[in-house]
Amino acid sequence: MKRTFLQIGLLCIAGAVVGLGANALSPRAVVLGKPVLPQAEAQPGTCATGGAAPSAFAAVPRITVEQAKPLCVACTAGFVDARNEEEFAEGHITNAVHLPPGDVPPPVLAQLKGYGTVVVYDADPQGTMAEAVAMGLREMGVKDVRVLQGSWTEWLAKGAPGSSGPCPVCGPAEAKQ
Amino acid sequence: MKGFVLAACRIVVGGLFLWAASTKVPDMAKFAEEVANYRLLPAALVPAVAAMVVGIEIVAGVLLVVGAWARPAAIVVSGMLGVFILGIAQALARGIDLKCGCFGGEEAASWLTVVRDLAILAPALAVAIGGPGRLALASRERPAGAEQRATT
Repeated sequence: MKRTFLQIGLLCIAGAVVGLGANALSPRAVVLGKPVLPQAEAQPGTCATGGAAPSAFAAVPRITVEQAKPLCVACTAGFVDARNEEEFAEGHITNAVHLPPGDVPPPVLAQLKGYGTVVVYDADPQGTMAEAVAMGLREMGVKDVRVLQGSWTEWLAKGAPGSSGPCPVCGPAEAKQ
Repeated sequence: MKGFVLAACRIVVGGLFLWAASTKVPDMAKFAEEVANYRLLPAALVPAVAAMVVGIEIVAGVLLVVGAWARPAAIVVSGMLGVFILGIAQALARGIDLKCGCFGGEEAASWLTVVRDLAILAPALAVAIGGPGRLALASRERPAGAEQRATT
């Protein structure tokens, strides 16, 4: 019995080492030491609703500003701004497409489908609007959609690339500016 | 016959754990989010625990498939399955909507997931109790209670 416990301990230690190694080799490694919060925490009251939690929420993975910034700089991800027109005109992530909840113009959808990753953000650090837009995009066939953790506020605070101006066509023309 | 049944249990459970780990390694960040959604751990511990879970799945899976240290591996796997079952059950009972995080993908956790995990737990417990069975690398592991009998 003592031997079995010893083997269990060794197995767990070996597992921990292998796990840390696998994480280091993973293309999307988790940052050790950086707290990971439940997605549903962005929806206050989810736990208190006793089964009435909307399934659409908490279903979209998050992406941090640190992870999204290089994608923006390298233009390898599409960015979607789910805020209102005025907020968008005041400033937005460089090359972001203005897309509030609702219908998605076909050219915008086609453009977003061309990206490996699409990042959606809004003005709310909890990303409520962004979640709704992200879910819509996923239902329309955009595969890897993520909500920006901390949203526009955190993006600005961390000095990530941004620009300003209106969105004349809410679509591809602006995204190529 | 019993030896072959235990070997089948061991290889199937080990294979499932290896498969589960292989679906998580490409996107560890996403798996960590899924672990966080269970709301069982402090946020600061989630990344390390997520990495360790995947590592233990790999090590225990390999040991079960080859049949070395099969009993300890089966005990660890049974413990993990027990935690998964309790984790999913408590989340469903609290109305938390979350993804399973079991085999990658977008599978939502449901009571069916609990039933599936129970179905995997049964052969894992069989190996934990009965030993590795046939076709094991270390087939000389003593059956449960042998140590006690040997000392009396």
